Amino acid sequence: MARMKFICDAERCIECNGCATACKNEHEVPWGVNRRRLVTVNDGVPGERSISVACMHCTDAPCMAVCPVDCFYRTEDQIVLHDKDLCIGCGYCFYACPFGAPQFPQAGAFGLRGKMDKCTYCAGGPEENFSVEEFRKYGRNRIAEGKLPACAEMCSTKALLAGDAPVITTIYKTRVVTRGKGDQIWGWAMAYGGSDQLKDQPGGGQT
Amino acid sequence: MRSETRDVRILLVAVALGLAACHEIPQDAAKPYAGKEDTKAYAGDRFNGDKAKYEKALADRAQNENEYLRTGDAKK
Repeated sequence: MARMKFICDAERCIECNGCATACKNEHEVPWGVNRRRLVTVNDGVPGERSISVACMHCTDAPCMAVCPVDCFYRTEDQIVLHDKDLCIGCGYCFYACPFGAPQFPQAGAFGLRGKMDKCTYCAGGPEENFSVEEFRKYGRNRIAEGKLPACAEMCSTKALLAGDAPVITTIYKTRVVTRGKGDQIWGWAMAYGGSDQLKDQPGGGQT
Repeated sequence: MRSETRDVRILLVAVALGLAACHEIPQDAAKPYAGKEDTKAYAGDRFNGDKAKYEKALADRAQNENEYLRTGDAKK
């Protein structure tokens, strides 16, 4: 069973916004809703770093825990999706999410909120695959076409990786080892188990 | 001597009471999804329900993100 995740490689991200643009275009996301966005730390300072942030499809998703109408579900590939027909736009998930992923379209005057919208990992939603309703509510279903999310496939520097966790973590490990800096992959053991020492990674023992 | 024993007992009771609140009550009971059932990603014409084929397609696609496969510069 796959465990679909995103990784953004801060060493590679050049803040081009290609991922955000690809997402907007692929799903025809309306104004005011940003399923994906760039966050830059120390903007303008030498050594600044940017990462692309969207729903991280958490293994233990806080949005699912707080939703009062239980509109969230998890696919076989561990992608966190929600049913817009159930969502009441209460905004609890927005406050629970550490990534600011849930978005709420302004549906009218006086700050009236619409139903929650978020990254679907390009996996559509609980409607018939490739149906007009699915596209209208959730966007395109690339996963059912055997494709990965548009943001990652569009990324020019391949900073944003999407795919099954073991596959993309292997790609990322290879990069870290090839760069040859840092004596450990920070947080690796806590997140994925095993060793976080560079020397224990594939090719890590070489100099 | 007797008063010391009593003090120890009082202390033990106080510690036991003090630690009684030191546990976390689960606040998010497992809740069922209440919405429509989603069709499987591999259920359509593209994969005809073949899950293995679907997973292989995604895994192969992910390797397009690994440019070291093209350049061969990665440390093995």
